[in-house]
This record gives sequence, C-alpha cells and structure tokens, in this order.
Amino acid sequence: MISKIHLSKVRPYAFKGSEYDSRLESSHVWMSDLTFRKGCYYMVAAESGAGKSSLCSFLYGLRRDYDGSITIDGVEAGQMTIAQWCELRNGHLAYLPQEMHLFPELTVMENIRIKNRLTGYKSEDWIKDALSRLGVSDKADVVAGKLSVGQQQRVAIIRSLCQPFDFVLVDEPVSHLDERNNELVAAMISEEASKQGAGIIATSVGNDIKMEFNSIIEL
Amino acid sequence: MTTGVVWRLLRQNMSVGQLAGYAVSNLVGLAIVLMALQFYCDVTEVWEREDSFMKRDFIVLSKKVGGLGSILGSKVDFSKEEIANLESQPWVKRVGVFTASDFNVSASVDMGGRGMSTALFLESVPDDFFDVKPGDWTYDPNRSEYVPIIISKDYLTLYNFGFASSRGLPQISEEMIGLLPIDLSLSGNGKQRWVKAHITGFSSRLNTIAVPTEFMTWANAEFGENNDANPSRLIVEVNSPGDPAISEYIKSHGYESAGDKVDNGKASYFLSVATSVVLAVGLVISLLSFVILLLSINLLLQRNKERLIELMQLGYSPSQVSRYYYATVGFINAFVLIGAIVALVIVASIWRGSLALLGVESVSMLPVICIGIAIMASITLINVYVISSTVRRNFFRS
Repeated sequence: MISKIHLSKVRPYAFKGSEYDSRLESSHVWMSDLTFRKGCYYMVAAESGAGKSSLCSFLYGLRRDYDGSITIDGVEAGQMTIAQWCELRNGHLAYLPQEMHLFPELTVMENIRIKNRLTGYKSEDWIKDALSRLGVSDKADVVAGKLSVGQQQRVAIIRSLCQPFDFVLVDEPVSHLDERNNELVAAMISEEASKQGAGIIATSVGNDIKMEFNSIIEL
Repeated sequence: MTTGVVWRLLRQNMSVGQLAGYAVSNLVGLAIVLMALQFYCDVTEVWEREDSFMKRDFIVLSKKVGGLGSILGSKVDFSKEEIANLESQPWVKRVGVFTASDFNVSASVDMGGRGMSTALFLESVPDDFFDVKPGDWTYDPNRSEYVPIIISKDYLTLYNFGFASSRGLPQISEEMIGLLPIDLSLSGNGKQRWVKAHITGFSSRLNTIAVPTEFMTWANAEFGENNDANPSRLIVEVNSPGDPAISEYIKSHGYESAGDKVDNGKASYFLSVATSVVLAVGLVISLLSFVILLLSINLLLQRNKERLIELMQLGYSPSQVSRYYYATVGFINAFVLIGAIVALVIVASIWRGSLALLGVESVSMLPVICIGIAIMASITLINVYVISSTVRRNFFRS
C-alpha cells in the first residue's frame, strides 16, 4: 500500500537553464517540497507546457529524466526496479495518460480486458455497466480507432479503473468531454477512489474535472 | 482470450518472409554442419580402427628390384647407414627391420589324411609394429609347444576368394586356420629339426609370414649360416602419411613402398581438408542466418516498440510481453533443429550404404545430434537474451 508520495526539489531536465528560473520560482511543484497523501484529492493546474504530463510520467515511473527526489513511501522512485514498478502499476497506482494509449486495432472490450485480465479486478458486468454509465455501451465491439476522441477518453478512464489502487493519476481526464460527461466521469473516478480510500491526482489546463479537491496546486 | 489479443498486437509487423528465410537458411546451414561432422566421424572411425584399410601410420619399404640388377648382384638390402639416414628424417617416428630367416624352412600340413608340404620363408619384426598381437606371441625353444605365426590377411583373402572359389574348395575362416597343426622343418648349418606351429593371427599391415623375434633369433643362431645379413625390408611408422616429403624421399632413394599406402595417405589428407571446408561452409551459412534472425528480431521489436511500451505501461512485465517472442524463436529453432536432424539421418543413410560396402561400420549419430542440439540451444539462448534486453531497455522511456 502507498500512503504518501513525496517530491523534493524536483526539476525536469527539460527545465534546466536560466530561462526557466521564473517558471520554477512560481511553481508549487517544481523545486518545492510537496506530499501527496492517500485519501486526498489533488488538482494540479497549469498552463500548457508547464510539465503536467512530465509530472505524471515521473510519478508513474515512465520517465526518470529529472533532478531532485521523488519517494513513494520513503523509497526513491528513481532507484526502483522494473519488478517493483510492475507491482505498483498492477495494484497501487492507476494512470490515465493524456494520450489515452488505447490500441486502435482492438475493440473497446478488448482494450479494457487487456488490462482487467492482468489484475482480474473488475467483473465483466461492472465493465458493461461502466460503459453504459458513460454512454459508450453501444461501442463495446467497435475498434477503438473508430471512436471519437471523447469516446476514447471515456473508454480509457474505465480501463484505468480496472485495478486496485492507492492513487489514481488522471492526466487531463475530461479535456475532450462535455459538461455532462465530465460529471459522469468525475462521479465514477471519485466513487472508485473513495471505495478504495485512494488519493486522486488530476491535472488540468482549464477544463477542470467536476469534483471536490482537497488541494489545488499551481504547477 | 487476452493472451490471443496480446499476441495479435505483438505479431503485427512480424515478417513471415524474413522468419521463413531465416528458418530455411539456418536449416541448410545446420544440416550441412551436422552432415559434415557425422561424415567426419564415420570416416575417422575407419582411420581409427587398427586393421583399417585406411590406417596409414605405417609404410613398408623395400628397394626396387629392376631388370638384371638382382641377378648381377646389385644390393636390395638396406645398409646400416641407409637405415640411420631414414631414421633421421623428420617424418619418421620409428623404423623396424624385417629379419628374414637365414635357413631353410618347409611346412607340412596334414588335412584329413592328405598331406601337403611347401617350402616357406619366415620373417620377424619388432612386436610394436604389429596391428594384432595374439596372447601367446612369444617363443622359448625349450618350453614352447608350438611357434605362433601371423600371416597377412591378404593370403587368406586370396585363398578364400581366389583359389577356393575357383576350385570349388571350402572357404576357411580365421578360427579354422588357427586349429590347423603345422609341422615346420628347420634346416641349415648342418642341422635339422621339426617344430610344431599354429597360425594365431592375421595382419592387414604386414605382408609376410611373421614369427616372434625370440624364435627368429634362436633359429637364425641355430641354423643360420650368415648372421650379418642386412634387412631387405623396413617397416616405418610415420607422423603424417600424407606428407609429400615421404614420397619424395622414397622416390629419390629408389625405394618402393608396399601397396599405395602413401597415396592413400594423401587421399585421407584431402578428405579431412574437404570435410573441414564443408564444415566451414555450413558454419558460415548458419552464422549468416543467425545474423538474419537477430536483425529480424531487432527490426520487429523496433516496429512494435510503441505497443511494447504501452503494454508495459498497462502493467505488463517485460517477461510477460517477451514470452510471445521467445515462443516464436523457440518454435522456429525447434523446427530448424528437427529438420536438420531428419536431413542428417536421410543423407547419412545414403553414404552409410556406400561405406557399408567397404565393410565400414557406422558410429552412433547421438554425439552429432547432441552437438546440433547444443548449437540450437546456444542460438536460442542468445535470441532470448537479445529480446529480453531490448524489451527491458524500453521499460523506461528516459
């Protein structure tokens, strides 16, 4: 179980150089000390290009091109092994990438099952119900490549919830959704998070997901 | 079902043509390697055998008998200086002399009441030069009941397949001849004595009627008249029978080697060179096809890089995604191995048929098959290592 994620003086390699000094100074994430706690909901708000996706990649162990320290329950993320990351990704950290990363040649159901079979966490009924709640049940057997971006986003959200987690990282989860779908997605994510007592770290560039946050952090 | 889905994702961009090209070329390469090795083993077996017709470590030297030379007294024996000169040649391991009997010998055989008698000659060579050595190969004039004799295998062959078959006489086995009691009459130096003898062995190497050195020393002292006679034949053990220096030496000194053993030596030398060349060609083909496979795998992993990364992002471990490629490589390599072994068995049965006509027994194919398994196991392990390290390298994007 992860109870907290701590960032200390983290700076992406991409922000090296004096021209980034003012941006880093105004940030509450970069070059700062910041702790995400399990059970709390965080909104990381930023302008485009401020490094939201980089932050998610660092927290999820996809990239390690940063200075400073990120610790997960005291363990240095940069030192964690591939096996440790695999365990985290299957049971403790859920992630919705901004680009969704659905496999365009697979159907909606196949895209979700490819994750769910790994964790065995959700039932087929839950998946069908979730598709229905987000209004894409009629697309279950359609290949993901033929969905609109908004539909893809909803499918990707369902897929990311097909696992147990202590934190869920959602990178601009509603950037392509209308208000109604925004509320539906928000309700589904917070419902799952509260059921598991998990924390939420959501990023946004303006189109905020409609949920109550404990903390809004300027990146 | 999900396994099928993951496989569907990962097999995209897999070039069947490239993999088939690898499989076929490696099959050809491995089959050539295995066949060359097996052929080499089969043929070497012929060399290794003591009485083998291809055994070429020994040559028997004599001087040419030409025209009237011998009648006019030209010497056909080897002087001590000539022997010493021969011994000093780099290709000579050791030289043995044929000691001829310096007395009259006649042998009589009683074959079921029909007596046969013939004049004979006897020779002895040092024991080390025999390819066969019967247990009783010694002689003591006071104790031994009989003189053991070794004759050339050619004599028996000549009798069985030449004389006996043309005259309608029964063919005789080696065992039967051994049972035949022979009476030898030794005379000379004013003395005469009867001794019993038995043929106790057959030699493929020595074209003579040989008796133990002890017997010859005793009999020459007892019945011989000229004890200082030089040997007229020499047996030479050589290092490398194919060495051209040997034929050159023999030619320049006017000697003759028994049979065509020196030429056989060359043939064996060329055979081993030819086998090595074929082996090398097979290895090169295998190596090239192995490189093709590595390149194909690398290309495939490069093309599927994004999918691999996305699967690992979903929580799949590198080994979970790699195993599909391991299975592919394992399947192809098993196919190549089995195909090469089948080809080996089929082709070997063809050449073994020909070798069997020469009386050559086949050796087990198991060692060569094990080498094939070892080669393919190594190739598969290298493939697995390359796949595993490439996939793991992509786990972190940076």
